Order: sequence, then C-alpha cells, then structure tokens
Amino acid sequence: MNSLNDEPKAEAITVVLVEDDAPTLGRLQDALTKAGYQVRAAGTLTEARACLAQGAPKVLLTDLQLPDGHGVDLIRETRRRFPDTEIMVISILGDEESVISAITVGATGYLLKDAFPTDIAATVRDLVAGHSPISASIARFIVRRTQNTPEPPPGPALNTAKLTPREIDILWGIAKGFSYAEIASHLGLSRQTVPGHIKNIYRKLEVHTRGEAVFEAVQQGLIKL
Amino acid sequence: MNDHDEDATAEQLPGRERRRLQTSRLAQYLLLQAMIAGACVLALLQSLPGPPAEYQVKAFNLTEAGVERAVTLPYFSPLRNAMNDPPRFTGQFVRPAGEAARSWSVFLPRFTNGVEVTVNDVVILDSRRDPAANRPDRNTPAIAVIPASALRDGDNAIAIRLFIWGPITGFLDRIWVGPDELLRPTYDLRTLVFVTLPVVFSSWQAILAVILGIMWVMRRHEPAYGVLAAAMAVGVAQAFLQTPMGETPFSRLNVILISSAPLESALVLTFALLFSGWKWQRYGWIFFIPGIALALGGLFGNQALSRTLFLVLAVPMVGISLVIMAVVTARSALKRPNVASLLLGCAVTIMLTCWIADLLSVFQMTPNRIFTARLSYSVMLVAIGAGLTWRFARALNQVDGFAGRLVTQVREAEEKLKASFAREEERARAAALARERTRLMRDLHDGLGGQLVSIVALSERGNGSAGIGDAARAALKDLRLVIDSMDDIGGDLMLALGSWRERAMAQLRPHDIALDWRAVTAQGLPVHPELRPWHVIQIVRLLDEAVTNAVKHANARRITVRIETLAGADGLDRGCITVEDDGKGFAITSDGAAAGAIKAARGLRNMRSRAARCGAELELSSCAQGTDRESHQGTRVRLTLPHRFPDSDGAAG
Repeated sequence: MNSLNDEPKAEAITVVLVEDDAPTLGRLQDALTKAGYQVRAAGTLTEARACLAQGAPKVLLTDLQLPDGHGVDLIRETRRRFPDTEIMVISILGDEESVISAITVGATGYLLKDAFPTDIAATVRDLVAGHSPISASIARFIVRRTQNTPEPPPGPALNTAKLTPREIDILWGIAKGFSYAEIASHLGLSRQTVPGHIKNIYRKLEVHTRGEAVFEAVQQGLIKL
Repeated sequence: MNDHDEDATAEQLPGRERRRLQTSRLAQYLLLQAMIAGACVLALLQSLPGPPAEYQVKAFNLTEAGVERAVTLPYFSPLRNAMNDPPRFTGQFVRPAGEAARSWSVFLPRFTNGVEVTVNDVVILDSRRDPAANRPDRNTPAIAVIPASALRDGDNAIAIRLFIWGPITGFLDRIWVGPDELLRPTYDLRTLVFVTLPVVFSSWQAILAVILGIMWVMRRHEPAYGVLAAAMAVGVAQAFLQTPMGETPFSRLNVILISSAPLESALVLTFALLFSGWKWQRYGWIFFIPGIALALGGLFGNQALSRTLFLVLAVPMVGISLVIMAVVTARSALKRPNVASLLLGCAVTIMLTCWIADLLSVFQMTPNRIFTARLSYSVMLVAIGAGLTWRFARALNQVDGFAGRLVTQVREAEEKLKASFAREEERARAAALARERTRLMRDLHDGLGGQLVSIVALSERGNGSAGIGDAARAALKDLRLVIDSMDDIGGDLMLALGSWRERAMAQLRPHDIALDWRAVTAQGLPVHPELRPWHVIQIVRLLDEAVTNAVKHANARRITVRIETLAGADGLDRGCITVEDDGKGFAITSDGAAAGAIKAARGLRNMRSRAARCGAELELSSCAQGTDRESHQGTRVRLTLPHRFPDSDGAAG
C-alpha cells in the first residue's frame, strides 16, 4: 500500500484536483501530496481551466457539481486537448448517474470522496499504471444496459452496441464481485489482459464525435430522422 | 359448399404425383359406376313373377285400323293416338266345371294407356276411370273381378279395347284370367312396387322439399338448397296431382304435369352443378327452356301438341341432365372425394341406366314396357337425404371441434394476457422504483451525501474526533447500501453481493484484514425473481454485521466469504452464504445469544431477526481460540437462503 516505495519518480506525476468543498479538497490534496504526487488544486471550473493551461497533467480528478459549471464539460475539454491525461471523477456516492455521464465524455472510473487516504493514493497509482478501476455497481449498470428491454431504464444515456460478448462477460464477472483473476480463469484469459479489456470498455462507451453523438441520440430515441 | 380440407391431400402433391393419383381415382370411380350399372341391368332383366301360366290367355284376334289378324301378347301397337277407334283384342278362355264357387278375375299387369275389358259382352273394367292408371310413366297394373253372372263353365269370350292417347305408342302386356286368389298376389306385388312405393317416395320428397326450403330460407347464400327444394316441390306436385281425362276446364292444368319432368330435371341438374362448386350463370336458363316450352305448348296448344312436344323435349332433357350430372358428379367425386359426392354419383349412374332401359322399351327394343326411371329417381332422393344428413353431421362435428379449439385458444390467450399483464405490472413497478431511486440519489447526492463527506474531511483535520469521522463514514456507507439495494438487479443476489464485496474490502483495508471471496459453485447463488429491495437490504446488513463483528470484537486477520448453491433434501436449490473469521470467537449461550458483550449480543439478535424476516436460516457457531483448533476457530455465520423469498415482512419478530 505504500506507493512511495513503488513510485520512485512520483514527483514527476502531476495531478489536477478539482473540488469545490474546501475540507474535502484539503484531505484529497493531503492524501495525494503525501503519496508524492504533484497536485494542482482548483475549487471552480475557471481555476481548473487555469491549471490546465499550465500544461497537460498526468491525471485529472474532478468533482462534477462545481459552482461555475459542470465537471463533465471539463472532462470533455481535457479529453480533447490532452488525450494522454487519465481522468477520474470524484463522486460522493459512486452512483451511476454521475459516473456514467463522466465515462461517456472520457473519464475512466471514479474516486469516492470519503475514501481513505491510502486508497486514494492507490487508486491514482493504478490509474497511472494503466489499470482503469471499475466498480461492481458501474459494471452492473453497463451490463444491464446491454440487455434488451422495451424501454431504456432511467439514468444517463449509454450506447453499449460496440461491446463484444467477451467484454460483456467480463462486466458480468465484475458486477458479481469476482476478482480479475477469477474472471480470467472463468473466461480462459490471462489475468494481465483483464485491465486492458476494461480500458477498452471505457473507450467504447465514450462518445467521441459529433456524428457518434447523433447516432447515440437516434439510438436513444432523442432525435427522429 | 366446398370441402377444402379434403382437397388438401391432392393439392399439396407435385404435378406428376397428382395426375397419377387423379388417374387412379378416376379408374376406381369408373369401375365402381360400371359395377353399379351392371347390377342395375341384371336387376332390370329379372322379370316380375307372374301368376300360374295355365291361366294366361295367349291367343288373341286383333282388330286394328280395320284390319283383323291373330296376335300373341305382349303386343306393341304402332299407333300413338287411338281414342275413337281403339285396337280391339278378342280371345277365349275356359273356366273348368266346378269353379263356379271361386271368384275369377282378369289381371292386366301392364298397358298403355287405357283398357276396357269385356267378358261375355259385359264390361268389367275401364281403367280410364282410375287416374293412377292413366299415367303411362307409372306401371300401374289392373285387376277386375268377373261378376259370377257373366261367367259360364267352358268357353268364355274376352274382349279388350286399348285406348291410346300418347305420348308413347300403345302396349298391352300378357293377360291372365283365373281364380282371383291366384292372380291377386302378383297384382298386389306390382301395386306395391309401382304404386305404393312411388307414393312413399313422393311423401319423402315432400319432406325433403320442406327441409331444403327451410335450409335455403336460413342460408340464403347457398342457393343449391333452394333449387333442390324447388325440384322436390315440382316432383311432389307431379306425383299427387291427378290427370284429368279429356278436354275439361281443368285440362290446362295438365301442362304442370307435362312440363314437370323437364323442369324437375333442370332443377336437379342446377343443384348438382351448384353443389359441385359451379357459380350460377345467365346461360343456366338454357336448362329450363325445354320445360318452359313444354308448358307454353300445353297452355296454348292442344293436348296432342303437348304430348308430341313431350317426347321431343322432355325425354331428351331428362337424359341430357343425367349425362351432365354424371360428368359433374364424377368430377367433383374425383376432386373432392367425399360421401355426398360419391352417393350422388352412384344415384346418377343408376338413374341413367334406368333411363336408357326406358328409352329402349319405348322404342320396343325390350320385350316389355316397365318404366323404371321415375322409380329409380327415389334412389337419388335417398342419396340426397343421406348426403345432406352426412354433411349436416360433419358440419356439427366441425362446429364442435371449432368451439373446442376456440375455448382452448381463448383460455391460452387469457393466460398469456394475465402473464403479460403481470409482466407489465412488474416492469411498471421496476420502472417506478428506478425513477424513485434516481430522484432519491440526486437528493442524497446534493444534500446529505455532501454534508457527510464534509464531516469526514473535517473530522480528519482535528484531533480526537475520529469517532465522528467513523460515524459519518458509516452513514455514507449505509447510504450507498440503501441506494444500491434499490437498483433493479433482476433477482440476482450476486449483483448485490458484488457491490457489497467492494464496500467490505474498503472497510477492511485500513484494519489490514484480508477478505477471501470464494464462489464455490460456478453460478454462485440461484436467481430469485421474487427478490425485493428490502430482502437485499436485510441480507447485506446481516453480512455487514457479521463482518463488523469480526473487525470489532474478534481481532480477526482474515475473513472468508463462501457463496454456494446447495441442493436441499427436498430437491430444491438453496443459496448459502457463509462468513467465517479466524478471530478469537465467543461463547454462545443456550438461547443462541452471545455471552458477554452486550453490544455483540444485540448484533447477533439483529442478525437473527433480519434472517427471519427474509425467511432465511441463520446458523452461528463460534469457538473460543484454541479449544477446537482442528475443525475451525473463530466465528462462523452461515446464512441459508429460502427457496422462495416471502412476499411480505410478516415474519418480523
């Protein structure tokens, strides 16, 4: 759990942290700084944009409800300007309402606001290592969207058409609480490939272009051609 | 009037197969009809039994058109009309002595058209007074008792005048004169066959006319029945109206009788055509032209004209109708083999055979003159009756079958509807729940959740307020559980346990306790469609309590969660979740509560109550460290889920 030993070049890793609640911002910043990350903190969307103007961070952690705007816009902008930046959303409840909408604009996973400092550091470390975290409830939300129901369940729009059966199987495994190793052995995969699959899943759920957004809207019945 | 179901077999076959089947059917049909015709010919060749030959009077002198010559009976006269100067037959017969006590009769089995019999110059019979005998198409016999006063022992003279008024030539069959008791049985037999039986059949025809008429009134879209009813009515009129002799005021009515045969045959032909699926066309009136022409001839011409027309129009019309009907019924019997068509076909064959035989006898090509066409018509009546009854019975069966099928289908549809309604209700409920959950989530997210997070953050800043932070964190954890359990997991408890595992791991990580997660059976737990959010909350809180106990009271280093599906003794699958720790354990008192710590005891009581509300069985075992090192140490909570979760919270307690 001690990331200092594992990350000799931790000081090189920059994290932009956007959170409007000052105490929460403080404890998250403490946790990350203690773990050796270089943190640029922001309390509003404007501040966050100013932080990003300084250059591409390795990681962006942002809350969604900000006093002067919505985190989703920030994530979209960052994704467009800095494709290599890993983005995570900071969520109070880890509910799909906020997390899925963040995923569709380019976030990979979420961090709970009340997570223990060690967990906060470990999650960011995994993210930098290329392991996009996914929770059981988010996996559950996605796989339930892959099932054909006459009317889409309430909540944010999500196009799961691009997911392969294997990826859906992996999501089922996560939703049911199986570890990556268990999923890999069930599906006849190598344990190491599971995080890559999850990253792919995130990428496939992301709405990249205007055309895709239109397709999405048609799929969801928001636009009639 | 179509029997589509019987077409199916023939029409589904490929062309060649179908032709082969049709050919074989045609051969079978023709063979059957040939056999029937043969049987008819054999029957017609049989002569009716006659009285003892010794009483037959054979030698006669015939005075015809002023010429006298010796003839033997039966005799075909070339004349068509001889009313004023009828051919006169004179002969002799001998009554032996001692016969005076027995009554003697003259028996004339067959004659056309009328006879006047004189014995010893006493007129004993004039058939013209008997209307039935005046109908040449009926083979009415005549018998007359000779008054005793007119008879004498030895030679007696008998004279017969044969009246002929067309339309056919005259005919006189053999004659018997003898004791009445010897002649009468033969007479009775002929009366039965040629007089009584036609009356019976005419009654039957009358009944058929009524039945078919009713059928047509009730089912106007099937004109075949109406046409047949009309045919039957014409037949009945023909049979029961009497023929007036001579030019009476009523003689014009004769046209009805005269034109009845072609009209009836035209109607029956139309019926046969309609029955075989033909649609009425305007040219169908052609069939009725002979009958109408004959009627007009009778109305505006004299009797002689109408009788002449009869031969030209009526007889061929009957024959042509029969031939067309034979072809049509054969075709429909081939295309749609069914009982009604086959019966009709056989009846037509019989009638056609009899008609040909009649024609032969008219042209004097047979030794006798017994007309059978009218009699054989009764066979057709029987066939029509049988065919109708068969069709009616079959229609009833179909209605029964249809009704049965309908009842089944309605029941099935009803069940489907019920199921779909239940599904729809379930879906609506789930959707409402999901909407409510989304709303609640937003509210909690914006309000309570944020405040709790702030408390956690603030508590970490100050010193000595870790308890507040823990409480806030626990509140957040519980909030997440409540929201999570409201999600529609489709009855798969594994989906709820997946989230629980994450929360439990987050809870255990700071305490450095490992969570060992073992899904023993591949699929985990059985799916419970009846699973409700409140079941999920109870189970997850129960498991939370087990883990919290292990953390707070047992000093455990490792917690193992086993998930499996057990086949119960009753053959029903039950899910089983076991939470086991390697802590120090505690003693359980006899009532199942933990001895010692009041808090732990309350926790155990809570767990039991939660299990009971879900209909699950809770099994607790705990060994104080070191007492039973071999089997296991620490505490084990074993939750056996019910096969079916209870609908209501009734088991609370």
